[in-house]
Amino acid sequence: MSKTEKKPVSTAKVRDFCSKRRMIVIITAIVLAVTVIGIIVRGVGVAIEFKGGTVITYDCLNDVDAGKAEEVVRSIVNTSVNIRTGENIESDGKQLTVSFTSENGLTADRQAELTAALQEAFPDSDITLSDSNDVSPTTGKEFFLKCIVAVIFAAILIIIYIAIRFRNIGGWSAGLCSVLALVHDLVVAFAASVLCGFEINSNMVAVLLTILGYSINNTIVIYDRIRENRQLMPKAAMNDIINAGCSQSLTRSLRTSITTVGTMLVITIVVLISGYDSLLSFSVPLMFGLISGTYSSLFVAPVTWSWWMEKKAAKSKAKKK
Amino acid sequence: MTLYLLGGMTVKKIGKSTFFIVVALILLFSASSVLGLDYQYGDNKTTLINGVDDIRLGIDIQGGVDVTFKPSGDYDATEDQLAAATEVINRRLVSLGINDSEVYSDAKSDRIIVRFPWQAGETDFDPESAVKELGETAELTFRRGSDYETDPEDENSVIPTGEIVLSGADVESAKAGSQPNDNGEYEYVVQLVLSESGKDKFAQATTELAGTSTPISIWMDNTMISAPTVSSAITNGEAVISGSFTTYEDAKSMADTISSGALPFKMETSSFKTISPTMGEGSLDAILLAGIIAFACIAVYMLVLYRLPGAVAVIALIGQIAGSLAVVSKWFGFMDSSTLTIPGIAGIILAVGMGVDANIITGERIKEELRSGKSLDSAIKIAYKRAFTAIFDGNITNVIVAIVLIGAFGVPSSFFSKILNHTIFYFFGATTEGVVYSFGVTLLAGVIFNFIMGVFAARLMVTSLSKFKCFRNRKLYGGDVK
Repeated sequence: MSKTEKKPVSTAKVRDFCSKRRMIVIITAIVLAVTVIGIIVRGVGVAIEFKGGTVITYDCLNDVDAGKAEEVVRSIVNTSVNIRTGENIESDGKQLTVSFTSENGLTADRQAELTAALQEAFPDSDITLSDSNDVSPTTGKEFFLKCIVAVIFAAILIIIYIAIRFRNIGGWSAGLCSVLALVHDLVVAFAASVLCGFEINSNMVAVLLTILGYSINNTIVIYDRIRENRQLMPKAAMNDIINAGCSQSLTRSLRTSITTVGTMLVITIVVLISGYDSLLSFSVPLMFGLISGTYSSLFVAPVTWSWWMEKKAAKSKAKKK
Repeated sequence: MTLYLLGGMTVKKIGKSTFFIVVALILLFSASSVLGLDYQYGDNKTTLINGVDDIRLGIDIQGGVDVTFKPSGDYDATEDQLAAATEVINRRLVSLGINDSEVYSDAKSDRIIVRFPWQAGETDFDPESAVKELGETAELTFRRGSDYETDPEDENSVIPTGEIVLSGADVESAKAGSQPNDNGEYEYVVQLVLSESGKDKFAQATTELAGTSTPISIWMDNTMISAPTVSSAITNGEAVISGSFTTYEDAKSMADTISSGALPFKMETSSFKTISPTMGEGSLDAILLAGIIAFACIAVYMLVLYRLPGAVAVIALIGQIAGSLAVVSKWFGFMDSSTLTIPGIAGIILAVGMGVDANIITGERIKEELRSGKSLDSAIKIAYKRAFTAIFDGNITNVIVAIVLIGAFGVPSSFFSKILNHTIFYFFGATTEGVVYSFGVTLLAGVIFNFIMGVFAARLMVTSLSKFKCFRNRKLYGGDVK
């Protein structure tokens, strides 16, 4: 680029993002199909704090292996099981606390079966039933409803904010499209979690919220470039401005993603090697959500938006005629 | 435009020394937030600044207490009462900064099971005293007169007999404060703001008792806290509990207990046990190891890609991580300490990711401006200015998310919750959810530190370094050789 040229726009090669509509529709369809099939095939496991279940405490003579106990209990109750070991203060003995989700509690027969199985698996531990409780969900339907209202409320505030800050490039539609991209990323993270067979627990809530923040930030960085291009090139066509904005942000988008996805990859590898599997339900969906965030901020948000603007322009043209 | 306050700040005053001052401040802050500051005087350890050791960790990492409560006596709680009691306990946990907890209720046997992690630096691992942290499970009452009778079942305890004027349910909020007593000395008190119903009842009782010798006594269960006489009618709905708090913490803990709401029935503990950390001490090491490896990778990556601004970014990121830890560990005296949980770590990772992003955006911009032929000084100036709008908007949307989450799932008496609960969440009961709340807090703090470290401090450092002759080479900033 020669120095005399007035355009202070970057040297990045402008790629045509706006023409990739077909690809976006196909990818979105695949994502949705995989999610639906995943939910049907694998089912959605919900953790005890959201669903309610049974908490049983056993007294035992010595420390039992939590991993082995988990297997024994899981083979009987057929849901994921949380095992905790500890000490009873009054009797000074060891204790084993088993919690798992269950519909309408556990019958006496099943409980006896469970106790017998544990006694058989740990013959030296002298396992006896200490206490059994059928518990209601700690954070039930109300929590989910409130979560949904909170997220919708936050989304509306974000749309209003984008509408105001990006008014020179048609802010309302930009805001709505950014939320569309956000929903896309949330679905991907959720699908990744379901496909891996992780149950919905509070880690999942944290993952979805992280994706929410990250995805919006990603989209806005690209919108910012489009907004700036609009000022620098007031006469250019909308699609050109969007293409230029996405192209200029491409390096930054990829590099930022490499650091964040890389961080999750490091965590996933370390967790796999060291065997603390419970962290996987956190790092794996987050990693997929982050990858999706990079894609959706470059394609889903700007391209659906350009589509929208084109439709709007065509409509107003038709009206004039 | 005011928005450019940080981004477009005049740079006249930035000299060579600025770099060293900023680096020194960041390192000092980081060191103090990691190591903390305390001194030993005899057997008493006084903590001046909380460090990483003072962070309460989640149950899975640190282990904790499992306590089962039941209604005292033969009281049969309804399902609604049990749910209300569960919510009160949840609120108390969050107002204590314990964000990793499990509270289960069993409607059939009227049991409430509470699990929460040990305090930071717990050494004696006594569940009975840990449970005391949850505050009184007793019922607050204001009674007419101070009469009581001896408990027929236990000679050493008494039962108040005065007519109940107010109960915990009539209190809207409570906070600790101090005021002069009769001798003119300041003492710690708990100040109560009463609800509409409480206001009327209290006004009526104090009007009747004003000037008489009949006191109004204040009880927690069967223990009388104080029995002041009424000098004049109190109609403004404010009441004060005084006379029994020796420290500010005593008063605050009582205030927190009262604001969390009254338990609908008296409870007693039916069993205690300890919980071993499921993931073990090793899990923390694994997380730390992953964090260190990831940070080292990011540092190398930034250095290779952006050279001098990359090096500055690494310093700024250290400051930002320290900032997130400082928020969790109560480094800032005005904030409550929190619990470091997996979601909390997610909040920190998101904030660090946004910090890296801010530095990449500016780094790319500096390169671009240099390649378009600008001088080094104006390239740096314009790059920071242009990058700022993107960073600003991206971070402010995250502030919106954080505030909605804090308001929706925080303690109901807090500022944001009050606003949201009376408007958007009007139809919902108060649901306090420590996990989501702690995520919101770390996210909000991360964004603030992103502005301080990733934007402001990084800009000061880069601009200052560019004044050194040896750092004038455009290649150091990713530009082509002129």
